[in-house]
Amino acid sequence: MWQGFVDFVYQYVPWFDGGLAVVLIILIKGVALILPLIIMMAYMTYAERKVIGYMQLRIGPNRVGPIGLLQPFADVFKLMFKEIIFPTKANVYLFVLAPILAFVPAIAIWAVIPLGQDFYITNLDISLLYVLAIGSVGIYGIILAGWASNSKYPLLGALRSASLLVSYEIVVGFVAVTVVMAASSVNLNEIVSSQSGGIWNWYWIPLFPMMIVFWISALAETNRAPFDVVEGESEIMGGTHVEYSGMCFALFFMAEYINMIMMAALAVLMFFGGWHSPFEGVPYLQEFFAFVPDIMWLLGKMSFFLFLYLWIRATFPRYRYDQIMRLCWKVFLPLTIAWIMVVALMTQLHLGPWF
Amino acid sequence: MMDYQFNTADLFFALPELFMIAAIALILLLDLFVSERFQNLTYYLTQSTLAITGYFAFNLIGESAVIFDGTYVLDTIGSYFKVFMMVFSIVALVYSRHYLRAHNLLKGEYFILSLLSVLGMMVMVSAHSMLTIYLGLEIMSLSLYTLIAIARDRAVAVEAALKYFVLGAIASGLLLYGMSMIYGITGSLDIGQIAAFATGANLNSEQVLILNFGLVFLVIGIAFKFGAVPFHMWVPDVYQGAPTSVTMFLSTVPKFAATAMLVRLLIDGLGGLQAYWADLFIILAILSIGLGSLVALMQTNIKRLLAYSTISHIGFILLGFITGVVEGYGAATFYVLAYVLMSLTAFGIIIALNKQGFEADQIVDFRGLSKHSPWFALLMLFVMLSMAGVPPFIGFYSKLFILQQVVSAGYIYLAVAAVVFAVISAYYYLQIIKTMYFDDAEKEITVTAPLDMRIILSINGALILVLGLMPSYWMELAISLF
Amino acid sequence: MLENYLPIIVFIFLGIAFGVGLTLVGYLLGPSKPDEEKNSQFECGFPAFEDSRMHFNVRYYLVAILFILFDLEVAFFIPWAVVQSKLGWFGFIGMSVFLLLLVVGFIFEWKKGALEWE
Repeated sequence: MWQGFVDFVYQYVPWFDGGLAVVLIILIKGVALILPLIIMMAYMTYAERKVIGYMQLRIGPNRVGPIGLLQPFADVFKLMFKEIIFPTKANVYLFVLAPILAFVPAIAIWAVIPLGQDFYITNLDISLLYVLAIGSVGIYGIILAGWASNSKYPLLGALRSASLLVSYEIVVGFVAVTVVMAASSVNLNEIVSSQSGGIWNWYWIPLFPMMIVFWISALAETNRAPFDVVEGESEIMGGTHVEYSGMCFALFFMAEYINMIMMAALAVLMFFGGWHSPFEGVPYLQEFFAFVPDIMWLLGKMSFFLFLYLWIRATFPRYRYDQIMRLCWKVFLPLTIAWIMVVALMTQLHLGPWF
Repeated sequence: MMDYQFNTADLFFALPELFMIAAIALILLLDLFVSERFQNLTYYLTQSTLAITGYFAFNLIGESAVIFDGTYVLDTIGSYFKVFMMVFSIVALVYSRHYLRAHNLLKGEYFILSLLSVLGMMVMVSAHSMLTIYLGLEIMSLSLYTLIAIARDRAVAVEAALKYFVLGAIASGLLLYGMSMIYGITGSLDIGQIAAFATGANLNSEQVLILNFGLVFLVIGIAFKFGAVPFHMWVPDVYQGAPTSVTMFLSTVPKFAATAMLVRLLIDGLGGLQAYWADLFIILAILSIGLGSLVALMQTNIKRLLAYSTISHIGFILLGFITGVVEGYGAATFYVLAYVLMSLTAFGIIIALNKQGFEADQIVDFRGLSKHSPWFALLMLFVMLSMAGVPPFIGFYSKLFILQQVVSAGYIYLAVAAVVFAVISAYYYLQIIKTMYFDDAEKEITVTAPLDMRIILSINGALILVLGLMPSYWMELAISLF
Repeated sequence: MLENYLPIIVFIFLGIAFGVGLTLVGYLLGPSKPDEEKNSQFECGFPAFEDSRMHFNVRYYLVAILFILFDLEVAFFIPWAVVQSKLGWFGFIGMSVFLLLLVVGFIFEWKKGALEWE
């Protein structure tokens, strides 16, 4: 289809040659991925308010549009028309750069996330490493925001945030190592392919503790409750975001929610078979569900994890900062290191059906 | 892709290092979990580790092998250096303990860091690839930086550590830069292959130019580690600022490692360019001897004085390498041995004068030592005369051997200059002797050093005389290493 | 091979475009009525007592240092993890020694209290 499009354009615009076409196609693909992503993120905020509302026996947003369905758009337009305040003492360039620096990695990660069997922007051989690497760039945005604001609470928030994020990044890294060991590849597509063959073959069974650790770390990495000390309102008034308003704040907000969606996708890809149907290999159900496109399975599984975010937020009280750090360094780190050895031993002894 | 088959037999040749790293890990854990009552455990375990490692290294003397895919080498000079390093580390730690106790620095980390730096030196000594040399150098240096800062509530110590760290990082950077130049032109990190390239007959002038370019940076890195002028800026400050026990360690054992690095890089590797680096060494050596001798005249702090004296000794060591003959290299190695013996004794006596809460580091602290402690005063007399180059002490013969070789290599003007500066430097050594024997003490001097330290210190001091009376065996041994 | 990396650059530029674009939209559409009180830094209703770039706990540095160590460790682990099923016992023992040394360091810092946040 793309080739036809290229040929069509080439007929009328002769200088539109191969190289430019490739870039243009990627651009179109990119926009086609990012726009739904942003809409998904917008409705994630709606879902959050609605779900938590029902969990607390409230109704949640219900004024804008039918059952409040247009609420996200109202929010976006409100933020657009708000003034962007530049505090007098702030370093303006860094102050503006920080939200963009937080937002760009959140978008850039999606270039390698495979959404279906042949449904991805690019198939990097090192896509998992790329996700880990570029995911950590977002921390710069937060640190920079805290520093550039030149205000007390943002600085405290940035410090907390940075050390929390880097601590849990180690844990996520170790968990990724176990997944890589199981799949013998750092390519997300291959990691998913190696989980084919029904729900029994997904990595959540052999790597069950790692799956739990990963999900809890994902909560911390995305600053979600119960690990949201970074912006804990009662302690530091919203952390790094204190001085931000209007679209600058919206960029932070969007980056955070896109990262949430990314973490959910990563959990599905690494532990829950990605786009694979859970009924592969089951005699009747396999044929019965054959009509479902693979991306639907991925989105369905992701929805569960996205719901889990909200469920956890509505259920658990916030952790104290020292407790979070203790959980990371004294519980998860030894556990993941031990599990690496367990997986290595299982591989060497050919124990279990998965290795 | 290069094929490398791991050979289990290789592990046997690296036994000293492997044993040491296992022991370090074990001691580190034991030190954490053992209660305060067994505080001495770490110390004794450290000493036995050094002794056993030395024993392993001693047993490997005579073996020679290139192992681990050409990155590691076992040969006679390496094994002898390791044995010497172990012996002198044991002695240094015996002295250190008294100092650490007197200044409440007796922590397990001190011994573990010492062991780690010794491990780094062993790696340097046995390195057969530029990468391994750098690895050993960094293990050694990072441990030493931390050791200096172990007195962390003492501002001068922290300043010294930071200065050493920053300058050391620059020197490491320059060394790496030189290594990358050499690697770029020879295409190999392996010392053997670099040697094959550098001695090759058909080098064109461009290749020689690039080799020389790298060579200059290597020489700078080595000169920094030795503390030769003009890369000596860290030496006085670090010697003065560091806790005396660390200064002692720093001024003795790492000199073997630095010599080994010089031998591996410049003689084993770039021996074909001897004519080029000898020219650089002439400048380094004569500046070091000159500046070390002259500036030391004005010092009142004995550690600082010994720092400048070290610089001038380094100049003599470098002189030995200028000659380009095996006898010259042997003379330089003998000088290192002699220098380490003298330096250990000198710092040992300074440490012996320390007592609870009292830091002896001024020359005036030695006033009237001969009346209160004639034996230590006599030992210090030995050291000072030996350092000044008075016969029959070992310092005389080490200087003599070097000058003989320098003269026979045709550098008569260098020998004359070295002798002139040596005579000048005799002044401040004699000054200390005068302070000990002819000045009256302002306050009571009591030496509280424990018995084991006194015994070893006595042996150490006596060796300066004894080896001075029969230097030929050690000199022949030093020559046989090359 | 290398053309697989082109989309990444494109995506980074797309991200920058979206980020800058949204900021610009907000800047153009929103009002701009600065006043002294509004633009002062956020405090609890009174002028700031001290410089906001203040001293903070040294533990944050410690976390940063430990992070570098362990993140490097992860970086060493990943290539091994990819091929560990092919390396056999040699790879297993080799990596176990590596891991053991790091665990020794980890125990050391744990016992020394580097991981405590009182």
